Parts: sequence; C-alpha cells; structure tokens
Amino acid sequence: MQHLKHKIAALFLFASLALITVFSCKRDIDGLAPATFPTTPEVFIDGFSAGLNYAAFGGSKVTAFDVDAEVKYKGTASMKFEVPDAGDPKGAYAGGGFITSVGRDLSGYDALTFWAKASKAATIDVVGFGNDFGESKYQVTLRGVKVNSNWQKFIIPIPDPSKLKQERGMFFYSEGPENELGYTFWIDDLKFEKLGTIAHPKPAILDGQNQVFSVETEQKLNIGGLKVAFNLPTGIDQSVDAAPAYFTFLSSNPAVASVSSAGVVSVADAGKAVITAKVGELNAIGSMTLNSSGKSVGPATPAPTPTVKADSVISLFSNAYNNVTVDTWNTRWQFSTAEDSEVKIAGNDAKRYRSLNFVGIEFSSKTINASAMTHFHLDIWTPDPTDLPKTFKVQLVDFGPNGTFGGGDDSSHELSFSRPTLVSNEWVSLDIPLSRFTGLTKRANLAQLVLSGEIPNVYVDNVYFYNAGIVAPPTGPTVAAPAPTRSAANVISVFSDTYTNQAGTDFNPNWGQATKVTQLSIAGNNTLRYENLNYQGTQFGSNLNVSSMTHLHLDIWSKNSSNLNVFIISPGPVEKAVVLKVPTNGWSSVDIPLSDFSPVALNNLIQFKFDGNGDIYLDNLYFYKNAVVSTDPTTAAPTPTFSAANVISVFSDAYTNVAGTDLNPNWGQATKVTQVPVAGNNTLLFTGLNYQGIQLGSNQNVSGMTQLHLDFWTANSTELKVFLISPGPAEKPYTLKVPSSGWTSIDIPLKEFTPTVDLSKVFQFKFEGNGKIYLDNILFHK
Amino acid sequence: MKWNHSTFINSFLLVLMFCTFWSCQDEDNTIVDRDYQLVWEDNFDGSAGKAPDASKWVYDLGIGPGNDGWGNQELQYYTNRPENVALDGTGNLAITARRESYAGRGFTSARLNTKGVFAQAYGRFEARIKLPWGPGIWPAFWMLGANIDQVTWPQCGEIDIMEYRGQEPNLIYGSVHGPGYSGGAAITKSYGFTNDRFDVDFHVFAVEWGKDFIDFYVDEVLYQRLTPEDTPGEWVYNQPFFIIMNIAVGGNFVGFPTSQTPFPQTMLVDYVKVYKEVN
Repeated sequence: MQHLKHKIAALFLFASLALITVFSCKRDIDGLAPATFPTTPEVFIDGFSAGLNYAAFGGSKVTAFDVDAEVKYKGTASMKFEVPDAGDPKGAYAGGGFITSVGRDLSGYDALTFWAKASKAATIDVVGFGNDFGESKYQVTLRGVKVNSNWQKFIIPIPDPSKLKQERGMFFYSEGPENELGYTFWIDDLKFEKLGTIAHPKPAILDGQNQVFSVETEQKLNIGGLKVAFNLPTGIDQSVDAAPAYFTFLSSNPAVASVSSAGVVSVADAGKAVITAKVGELNAIGSMTLNSSGKSVGPATPAPTPTVKADSVISLFSNAYNNVTVDTWNTRWQFSTAEDSEVKIAGNDAKRYRSLNFVGIEFSSKTINASAMTHFHLDIWTPDPTDLPKTFKVQLVDFGPNGTFGGGDDSSHELSFSRPTLVSNEWVSLDIPLSRFTGLTKRANLAQLVLSGEIPNVYVDNVYFYNAGIVAPPTGPTVAAPAPTRSAANVISVFSDTYTNQAGTDFNPNWGQATKVTQLSIAGNNTLRYENLNYQGTQFGSNLNVSSMTHLHLDIWSKNSSNLNVFIISPGPVEKAVVLKVPTNGWSSVDIPLSDFSPVALNNLIQFKFDGNGDIYLDNLYFYKNAVVSTDPTTAAPTPTFSAANVISVFSDAYTNVAGTDLNPNWGQATKVTQVPVAGNNTLLFTGLNYQGIQLGSNQNVSGMTQLHLDFWTANSTELKVFLISPGPAEKPYTLKVPSSGWTSIDIPLKEFTPTVDLSKVFQFKFEGNGKIYLDNILFHK
Repeated sequence: MKWNHSTFINSFLLVLMFCTFWSCQDEDNTIVDRDYQLVWEDNFDGSAGKAPDASKWVYDLGIGPGNDGWGNQELQYYTNRPENVALDGTGNLAITARRESYAGRGFTSARLNTKGVFAQAYGRFEARIKLPWGPGIWPAFWMLGANIDQVTWPQCGEIDIMEYRGQEPNLIYGSVHGPGYSGGAAITKSYGFTNDRFDVDFHVFAVEWGKDFIDFYVDEVLYQRLTPEDTPGEWVYNQPFFIIMNIAVGGNFVGFPTSQTPFPQTMLVDYVKVYKEVN
C-alpha cells in the first residue's frame, strides 16, 4: 500500500503547514514576532506595484523610462526604455532602478521574470535586482540580455532566496547605444515567481577558476568573479553575477589569510591558505590559493631626491616634479607576470613591481618629446640577489612621427645593467646618457618604457628625462678623492681610508658652529662633508706630535665655497690659518709645509679648524714627511749577459763599443753630459736634460739584431724618450717609463722603430725629456 | 511482493496538483485494483565503475545497423565503456552522454537492453530514474516487441514508457509505435510539472500493461491509458517485449545539442522492475 502511505505523508505535511501558519498568527498577536514585510511578487504588470519608485542612474538620460500603453505583452501597459543615440546631450545611456519604499520578503520566490522585446535585435548590457541605491547587498546582475522584436521571457534566478527577507531593489537596468545608435526596448509582466523549473545552481568564485596568487603580509585582495549559474527551463545554463553577501567564504588557514563576509581577503602572515566559498550548502567552484611570503621587504628610506632643476626635466614619476601623463605603469602584455602597485616610503611615493619578468610602461596617448634632453634617470631598489649574471634592463621605445606603434617609423633600444652598477638593498640611481640608446634613432615621440630582467622585485622612483647641459651642477663629488700613495711609515693620518687613522678623533665637537658634518661614501670612499660651513673643529683623540713630519696633506672639493681656511692648533690655544684655494675644480690635493703653521707647537697638536663658507668635501687629512730620496744610484747597472757575438755595443763596459762615437755632439742642447763611475762601472749621466744626441762613429747595420738594450736610472725625470735615427734623418721615439725604481733594464724590440728607421744604417741616438738620467749598456743584440 | 492499486479517485488530488498537460477527461482512466508480483529486477548494486549485471543486460553499440544514428539521425556513438555506462557505487546505474570525439562521432553514450535475455508480455514495467538535462539530450526507458527480428519495426511494436527532451526538463512523454502509427505519427501523450523538473529528483516511470490496454504512470499518477480503439493501425501489444534504456544525443525527436548544452550528462537509474499480474 505504498501509494496510500505517500498520500498520508503529503496530507500530514499540509496539516503541518496549516499548524505553523496558525501558530505564527498567535505569535503575532503576542507581539513577539519581528515585523513581517509584504511578499508582493508583482513589480510592474500594467503599472507600478504598491510602493514602487523609479530613479534614473547618474549620467543617464533621465527620460529614458516611460510607461507605454500602446506596446505591451499582456494587459494594458508595459515599461518602455528609450536608449539614446551616442552623443545625446541629455544623457549617454538609459539606466535606472525601481525600488520600493518598504522592503519586500521575496524568500518564497526563486526568480525575477519578465517579458521583453525591442525595436531591433540588441543586447542589453545589464538587468537585475537587489540594487537599492545604497548598500545593494544582494544585487544580482544578468549581463548581455539578447532581445529582438519578438516578446521573449527572461528569468533572473535568485541565488539564495532565503536572504531576501527585506529587499527594496526590485529591478534595475543599464544599456547604452548599440553601434552608436539608440533604440527602444519594452519590458512587461515583471514579477518575482516561484518557478520550480530552474535547477542545478552552480556557484562560482573567480569565474570558477582555481587561481594561485603570490602575496605578502598586509596585502588585501578582492575575490572577484562571483557568479551563480542556473539551468533554465530550456535546459541551458545561465550565469548571473551575485553579490558577495550570497556567499559564505572560508579560509583553510586564517592565520595566514582571513576573508571577510564581503569577500575581501587579508593576508596576515607567511604561509599558504586556500579560500573557498559556499552559497547555502553548495560549494562554489573555483578557489583562491594564496602563497604568502610574509612581510614585504622594501626600502626603508626614499630614493635620493632629484636635484636637477625642474625646467630641464620631463618627469614621468617623481614627487620632486610635475609629472606628465602616463597611460599605464603596467600594460599587462601577454606573458608579463608583473604586478604593479604604488607605495609610500617615508611619505615619498614609489612604484613597486613584483613578479617582474618584463613590464610595459606606456605614455602613447601623449608621447614625450625628449629631443632636447640628454639623459634618462631612474632610481631602483631591489631586495633580490644581484649577483652576476642577473640583469636589469631598460628599454625606450619611440613611436616615430606617426605617433603610433608600427608603421615602420618606430625605433627602440634596450640597455642592460648588472653588477657592480646593480646592488641589492640600496637605491641605485641610473643616469643614462640618451646617446647610449644607440638604436633609439628618434626621441620626439617616446611612447614606451620597458623594464625587464632577472630581479623580480623592484621599487622604482624618479623616472625622468633631463638635460644635463642646463642641469644645476652637482653639489657633491661623484668620484672619490685620489687615494694617497705615500708609504704609511711616513704618515700620521687623521682621516683617510688608505691609512690607519689616529684613534678617538671627534670630527664634530660642539663649538657652537652652524656647520653640518656628515661622513658619506663617495664611490665607496669615506668622505667628510661640511655643509653650510661657518667654522668647524676637529678634536684629536690624543695630542699629536707631528714634529717629524714636513707637510699637512688634504683633499678638498667645493663648488660653492668662496672662502676657506685651515688651522692647526696647539694648546693655548695657538693656531695659525692657511688659506685654501676655493672653489675647486674637482678634487684639489693640497700639501702645506708645516712651517707655514708656525708658531703652532708641532709636537703637541690638539685640533684642526676650518672656517669659511659653502659646502666642503674633505678627505685624506694627514701629516707626512717626504721619504729620503736618493738622486744618484749607489749600485752599478746590471752587467749584461748577452754573448758578445750577438751584440753591437754603443756604450758598455762589458763589450767592445762601436769606435769613434761622440757621446755629446753639439746639437744646441742644454743638457750637461758626463761619464761617471758608479760602483766602479762607467756610466753616462745626463743632467738637466732637454734633449741629447749620440753620434755613432760609423753607420751601423743592426738589421741582424732584434732589440735595443739600455739600463737607465732616474729619481726625478718625469719624461724620457729614446730615438733611433738613420740618415734623412729618419727617427722614431720610444717612451721610457720614469722615474725609475732603481736601475731599469729595457730591451726594446727594434721593430718598434721600423719602418721609419732604416736599421741597415743606424747612425744616431737621441734622448728627450727632463731630469737627471743615468744611462748604461746601450747596445743592440739578438 | 504485491502491488495493490487503489482506485484512480485516490490519486485525483495529486493529479490536479501536478498535471496541466493532461486533462482528466474520461472514464477510460478509471482503473481497477491490480495485484502484481515481482518477476525480474535489477537494483544496480555494486561498486562504482563496475559494469551492470552481464546476465541481465546487453548493449547496442555504434551508430546503428543502418549507420544512420539508429534510424533517427542521432549523433552519439554508443559504447559499453565505463565512461558511458557503469554502476555509480550508491545503487544506481549511470548512463553518461559525453561531448568527445570518438569513432568519427562528436558524442558518446550508452544503450542497454534485455533482448534475448528477458522479455515478457503484460505486467508492470517500471524504473526509478533521475534524468539528465540540456538541449539535444534524449533519454528513454522503453520496450520493443521481441519478434522484431522476424517482423521488423514498427510491426513488432514499441512502447515508450518514458521519453524526454533535455530542453524541456519538466516534461516527459509516453508513446506507442505500431504499424501505421510510428515515428512522428506515434500515439503519444506528455506529462509535465509546472513547478518542478525531472532532473532534480528520482521519479518512477511505469506502464501497467494487459490484454488490450496500456496504462502510463509517472510516480502515482496515471496520465495515459491506451487501448486498441486509440491506435489507427493494428494493436501489436499482445506478445512479449524486451526493455531498453539509453541516452541519445540529437536526433529527430529532440533536435541538435547546442554549444550551451552542459556535458557530460548522466541518467541515474535506481532500479528496473518487472511484475506479473496475479489473479
């Protein structure tokens, strides 16, 4: 009797419903139930239903909606919507919403339905419900509604009717011109229904995709692509956009990432979390997997503030300048994984790129004419390793006169930067001469900047073109002061990277000065800077005895100082100023004899002092004595060991020399020529060299020889050349490196002198230069 | 097991509630109680992925003997792979239509029958089924005269206990095809829900068949009684018939699937039972 049993069950159910209704009424009488809201299903049948109001959307043509008694699906009237033509001054589109003053309880229905037709085949952009011109918490949107000149029924399913206990947004629509042309569509019999014939709801987040995101702490992400598909009574699926409030979101690991009821994910820590969602009891397809790397690593200080004057700059991005329009900082070209964001670093804006493989930055809507510019500048900062062969590449693209991509007039060039230019965890300022972009043949229509390379995390700031010709001079040196070469044994150093400095020096004792003192690294070299100098002291850690020293050395650099004195001070105080020449042209190395500081007690120095004005860079403050330098050799030139058979000798004790040679022919020279024994060895000495000849006793054929050998010794020559001469005269010089360090033996290949000199008849030597030169063992050999 | 049918009147309320396409028109639908005894069944118990009981079911494979989509321009290729026919592990048979390239066709599916295994004249034939959906999806639970190889179709007769178009998921059809009234001229009647569908829950589809009558049921509702007076040609339903279940894709009855047809689509069969009337 199975059938009968079913019927009994059904009857019981009906009875239960009846009981519930009765019970519910009783509660109402007791005043305990919450206020109930009307369940009116009709929105517009032949006119506005109770409590319904219409409002047009902002910017829309407010007269687009009207009630039409002529065209209707059923009854006496329909809703008519006139979509304007493009450019209609009264509004660009038709759009608005129908809301009730009192919310309705729509939980007993499963869809909003209507019939629609249009004056021509068209696709209505959006229709839906749940837009209450406020929170629109339960908005549902159906996109792309295809209408034509026949009446058709449309269904917008309610993703979860139990949510709609007090809904005010009955219907909304928005539609623009199609191909710039307006048209009219009509909607009739607009009402909520309990269809029962829509089935298989399929909620989705992220459009049903399982997406993976690399994120970091404090990042927030919106879960988009919230949809619910229903199978319509026609057997096909239709998807609607559903508001987050229909969904319940779940994080697999809230300690890593939590998710709000509005579908906003907040990353809290490093790790992995998967966000999923449900509508009612149905699991949504799609998921958001978050791989969090934890707290972000970024620069603690802003990029250096640009000092280039604004009138010689075209800036794309900088707080220091007015920036031109950049269409996008991330063109999201295919295969680009770059994510961009704007960050503040101690109040200063910077661009941040993550997952950077390459990124397009485009300013094509208004191209940049950088014809008058000489340099491109940008500051970058990366936490990533920058070991070789990692690179950071900068490409500039000019779209040419046609101002658009392609057309045969484009040009571009890419430059690659790597270590040592590229460093990690520091701002790197790239000042790139535009001339280095050799492939960029034009720069009147620059339209793209492309950054790429193997450092996925990059902060970028101060992106600008500038003209270095009209640029304000840099206020500081860009190269280090020249490194001292004096032997440490002869130096007492106060401030230098080259030497061990005196311990305990206070470079900024408080003497009431206005000067700002900093130590900074210039090209890797520690440098002392006085800004806004009025006066400035330096207090030694202990009293210095420099009486064995002869000079004070210092390197100074200043573009803007017009007055600068240096003092050394002994107790008393006893001090003496020496004037320093400013401004400098680059680094100026100054050596001041200590006698200039008399009467300061050189055996008991306590302080330095500078006074004057401007910004001064100082380095290599040290006292030194000149090493005792002998001006004469104490040993003989090394004795040559060539076999005599392979030698043609001009001047040597070791061989038979060419007969009849004149070691001091009168060619009008100032040089004094003598022959002196050095440690028993006959040696040729030129004193006060300007030039000096040697006339051989006869023409010598040295073409069978390979080298000219000579030994020379000089403590003070700074220039020395030797010439070989054949008749003509045909001569050619060879430069010798001076001063020498002790005896220098040199074997000059004779081909250095050919083909100018005819080796078959060499007849003269000549020396040119300066100083005091000892020479020996002048010979040809093979 | 015995079935005792209450009178039609007892079902009257439910009929009113669910039926719009059938108007309760005449005294032909007054039925008498019948006692039935179960003689054949398959409950499709077994582990997931297993083929149904080979002692009860055989397969129609391919695209039909005339290479014409089984006489209906159907688009599927029938296979007996587990992808197309298998137990679901929860007591159901799953027949699944898929959109895939296979043997030159764009869809695959399955068709099972009891030809040569089981056939019977008269009795109650029923199956509890949850139907698939989507345009161009054509599932059926039906029977053919066991003498088809001797007299050919439609002389053998065809009783369609349930046919359905996936684009009308709230409607099913019960039909007979015989000589002079086959194909588009079949004697048919539809039964529908106004606010429900056949693809969201299981429903029992049945015929109660005796000498010179066939009654068509959905659940407890008798929606069509056919007798020799209703057929313009010969009444060929006084001989044994065998059972067929399948999902066709496309074909004359249903039309083509569209790009919007969701695939795969599965028909779940909880059981098939056959009873004989006990006098």
